Amino acid sequence: QQTLPSQQPGRRQPQQPRVPPSISEEPGGHGRQRGSQSVLQGRNGRRPEGLQISAGFQELSLADRGGRRRDFHDLGINTRQAIEHVQESKTGSSGIMVKLTTNYFRLTSRPQWALYQYHVGYSPEMEARRLRSALLFQHEELIGKTHAFDGSILFLPKKLGKKVTEVFSRTRNGENVKITITLTNELPPTSPTCLQFYNIIFRRLLKMLNLQQIGRNYYNPSDPISIPNHRLMVWPGFTSSILQYEESIMLCTDVSHKVLRSETVLDFMYSLYYQVEEQRFRDACAKELIGLIVLTKYNNRTYRVDDIDWDANPQCTFRKADGSEISYVDYYKRQYNQEITDLNQPVLISQSRRRRGTIMPGPVVLIPELCFLTGLTEKMRNDFNMMKDLAVHTRLPPEQRQREIGKLIDYIQKDDNVQKELRDWGLSFDSNLLSFTGRVVQGEKILQSGNVFNYNPQFADWSKETRGAPLICAKPLDNWLLIYTRRNYDTANTLLQNLFKVTPSMGIRMNKATMIEVDDRTEAYLRVLQQSVTPDTNIVFCVLSSSRKDKYDAIKKYLCTDCPIPSQCVIARTLSKPQTAMAIATKIALQMNCKMGGELWSVEIPLKQVMVVGIDCYHDTLSGKQSIAGFVASLNQTMTRWFSRCVVQGRGQELVDGLKACLQTALRDWFKWNNYLPSRIIVYRDGVGDGQLNTLVNYEVPQFLDCLKSVGKDYNPRLTVIVVKKRVNTRFFAQCGGALKNPPPGTVVDVEVTRPEWYDFFIVSQAVRNGCVAPTHYNVIYDTGKLKPDHVQRLTYKLCHMYYNWSGVIRVPAPCQYAHKLAFLVGQSIHREPNLLLSDRLYYL
Amino acid sequence: MDKNFQEEQFTGIIKFTPPLYKQRYQFVKDLVGKYKPKKVADLGCADCTLLWMLKFCSCIEVLAGLDICTSIMKEKMHRLSPLPVDYLQPAERSLTVTLHHGSVAHKDPCMLGFDLVTCIELIEHLEESELKKFPEVVFGFMAPSIVVISTPNSEFNPLFLGVTLFRHPDHKFEWNRVQFQSWALETARRYDYSVEFTGVGHPPTGMENVGFCTQIGVFVRKHPQTSESAQSEKPTEGVYKTVFKAVYPSLKDEKYLQNAVVSEVIFTAQIIKRSLLDCVMSEHEEYNDDPTERKCKFQPSVNCFSDSLGKLVVEKSMEPFVNGHVVYIPLTTIFSFPKVNQLCGTFEKLCKLIAGKVTLSSDGSAVMFNTEHENEEN
Repeated sequence: QQTLPSQQPGRRQPQQPRVPPSISEEPGGHGRQRGSQSVLQGRNGRRPEGLQISAGFQELSLADRGGRRRDFHDLGINTRQAIEHVQESKTGSSGIMVKLTTNYFRLTSRPQWALYQYHVGYSPEMEARRLRSALLFQHEELIGKTHAFDGSILFLPKKLGKKVTEVFSRTRNGENVKITITLTNELPPTSPTCLQFYNIIFRRLLKMLNLQQIGRNYYNPSDPISIPNHRLMVWPGFTSSILQYEESIMLCTDVSHKVLRSETVLDFMYSLYYQVEEQRFRDACAKELIGLIVLTKYNNRTYRVDDIDWDANPQCTFRKADGSEISYVDYYKRQYNQEITDLNQPVLISQSRRRRGTIMPGPVVLIPELCFLTGLTEKMRNDFNMMKDLAVHTRLPPEQRQREIGKLIDYIQKDDNVQKELRDWGLSFDSNLLSFTGRVVQGEKILQSGNVFNYNPQFADWSKETRGAPLICAKPLDNWLLIYTRRNYDTANTLLQNLFKVTPSMGIRMNKATMIEVDDRTEAYLRVLQQSVTPDTNIVFCVLSSSRKDKYDAIKKYLCTDCPIPSQCVIARTLSKPQTAMAIATKIALQMNCKMGGELWSVEIPLKQVMVVGIDCYHDTLSGKQSIAGFVASLNQTMTRWFSRCVVQGRGQELVDGLKACLQTALRDWFKWNNYLPSRIIVYRDGVGDGQLNTLVNYEVPQFLDCLKSVGKDYNPRLTVIVVKKRVNTRFFAQCGGALKNPPPGTVVDVEVTRPEWYDFFIVSQAVRNGCVAPTHYNVIYDTGKLKPDHVQRLTYKLCHMYYNWSGVIRVPAPCQYAHKLAFLVGQSIHREPNLLLSDRLYYL
Repeated sequence: MDKNFQEEQFTGIIKFTPPLYKQRYQFVKDLVGKYKPKKVADLGCADCTLLWMLKFCSCIEVLAGLDICTSIMKEKMHRLSPLPVDYLQPAERSLTVTLHHGSVAHKDPCMLGFDLVTCIELIEHLEESELKKFPEVVFGFMAPSIVVISTPNSEFNPLFLGVTLFRHPDHKFEWNRVQFQSWALETARRYDYSVEFTGVGHPPTGMENVGFCTQIGVFVRKHPQTSESAQSEKPTEGVYKTVFKAVYPSLKDEKYLQNAVVSEVIFTAQIIKRSLLDCVMSEHEEYNDDPTERKCKFQPSVNCFSDSLGKLVVEKSMEPFVNGHVVYIPLTTIFSFPKVNQLCGTFEKLCKLIAGKVTLSSDGSAVMFNTEHENEEN
């Protein structure tokens, strides 16, 4: 399940509830460092490109490319301090010890200097940041070679003689400019801003090593892996960040792979043109291209494609900074010697995310012919062969990954220039990866209708053990439809026979399906559904002849909204292989059972009266930028039944309003099932992007509390909110003899690499067949539950066993995965809220 | 260029549009466009802006910069590194960019063999002793075909309010036109160059007599370069220190050429394979017979790939075909694609470049794909 950390930064980013206007910036805020609570995040809430580092005060952050960016490390949000029972310790206790190595390097020495923050003013006022820098650095003898300057705020490792220094510079035009450098703040070596400074220094080192910056990370272009089958090029590279972790400041670095494509946007448009009908061409372009990151031929910038302007072309003109009009063709020819050959191509529009001073720059116009595609499109991700070819290069087994990570430290130690730079700053790193001890908690027994199953915890899979065993709750197939096209008659029949073979041992009662043949057209399917589905229909089964999405979408839409009946769609090809037919029939039987409200297995859950909630988001980057949040809450003690609902966020609406409504209905349903309300609520919140923690803590959690208050005066349940993060750069390797292996499922880490200001832990719950396993990060941001950390960890791990679409342990607690599934179905196919009559079943599996 | 000048007569503030430094760089760029030099050196390259502009000129294969100050060079030198895209689509030309730390008063063999040497706003920063050695180093030792020297024209200075002595505190002198021209003519005479004078930054109307703000001398070597003259006095030791070196990926490099050809061949073969299989599939759907044993004639539909496939010239006997799970695509078919053709030039070269990198049929005449395991888990 390894992801490519660098690709598609904008893709899985949850929609941002609007943030109220933040405190306006006062660059000259005198000598006091603001409390860490006041970190506010970027105002526009978009994920920036390029690197950014935030300071621990106000929303100021500095970056070596200049400008202020959002903080993606969620620095300075101290949630642990409000959780009383973990002040002393946040570690668990159960399980057996395991020796682990991780991709972190300790800083063995670091600068002891304080950092001095200055405000730099110009008279007369100078607008351009470049010019401001140039003018200031005419006084290098005063400022020194080590500095960071973003156009108005200057950080120096030394104190200038006077509190206010005035110097004069001259522009190229001979204009004299007075520069006033005022000391505004003195930051001790422990301040978060100093840490950012280390990050900046480190990035400079990577540049010195001739690594290329793309987005946030650095890549080595000299030895690319080329995958010509798909016109892909993979660059190996590194992610890096230096942060204060539990015990010490460390550098976390991981191997990252950048997927580049050796074709331009124009090439891509050409080949698309031949693949789709003319009238669908523009839509197809928009669908495939919008949201993608492109790389320009002439500079080292990446841009996100926000729109395609079909009315413009390269012969259009624009106004240059000096006021003259020039066409794009002439401009690129003159400036970069780039020929544009297709003069009729449209242009791409990218909304700038960077703020220059107080001005929000206008959209950037890009020429498709001069832009290269990066990353993968949704279509490519769904291409099994492509992903397989990619995985060969990007999924490194633990030993190899450790070697690759070690290369970075090697490079650093072998390069004289880099060593000198490090010495100048007084920085040095440990040459060995950090090692420490983690715990492997005890495996879970699978309980299924009176049977107890043990399975090999190494594989985290019990499909073999439980095959053919009776289910906890089997729903009968008394009255159901089997719809197929003529060509798939045999396939449908075989499936029916196989289902008759596998269902009895599970305890599923089954009648022969009503077999209906249809033409292979969307309307034909819909007509059959309208005519044949009755209120007594248990489920509708469709054998589809191809993976064409439109038919699937139409069927799902109709059966989830207008006519709420569970449905199961399977592509004929999946059923056509005789050697796997029985296994597939078994899987389908289980899935249908869940969709009709059946229950498969459970694990022992000692906690009583608890409602577990999972939330995840889906962001439709294409049509109207809609966001969908899936909300799934447990209904019973054994966590085998779930209430599922989703929020389709309309324009200008807050996602959290919808979540409140979901929580209310979930509680109402819980009451119907149990005749009392839960005394504890534990929310697992997935789909939170880097740098959005603050919003969650300050807006979403209070809304949940509000909602609970509104239920009743005397109702005061304990609430725990846990942020679930799958995309982390942390990797663990288990030391086994002399070798490094993936840590076994159930590995819990709550020391060393966690953050002191959070109540957080990592769990490796799943097993992977190839590559490195990615741990999941859990951050308890709010907790009045007073459960011991050990119990929270154990419960979390237990919940990873409860996802009914996979007879094994998964990466996240089941409710998160259910919520993801639901949000995905609604976002991809249904586009509006499904009928609530289905909400007590896992109809979206 | 006259239009580029804006003047606010009464405030006395003179502004050039585009800025004067850009006009100087543009002057050099125009010169490069005219003479198409292959090797260009910029002496006193400072923050490498000129070098950065020149790297886009497709005639240049070697770019070198020299400066006495490393920190200013280092500040933005990474702009001279190849871009990701240069690796994605290696250029036809080769390009090497090198930055040296050193003085124009010293000779270093790394500066030999250049076609164009530019000294933009350099000489006025030289101490008298350095200025003395400068002509011998540049004209005598480096001896490029063309030398461009620009320097402030001090006659223009009174138009700048506030300029008391020199335009920049580091200037050691600023010459008027006569001073510059006599120095230039003398230098040209001694080293057998011809020189022409021009400039950028027009004076305001009514003040034409002060001349250009920046005066420029373009020196052209009269004698042809004799290899002996350059080598006879070539010092054996280099005194400059290399600060930065970037070799751009180029198709002239076998490694990149091979990569490009292999990629293009496989990609082309994939396209053909896909349309072949589509064609087999559609027949399968129509007649519902067994596709594995039939040969499908490869017929690119016109609306499919008008550009590349339309131009296919393939012998009848050498058509791509499917046999069982194996697809055969003759190399001759692939070679007829313009992009492949252009990259390789000859069929023999194509065979040589892809040898061992692409799976071929036993006689080596066709690219082979096994489709058995494809789509399996889809």
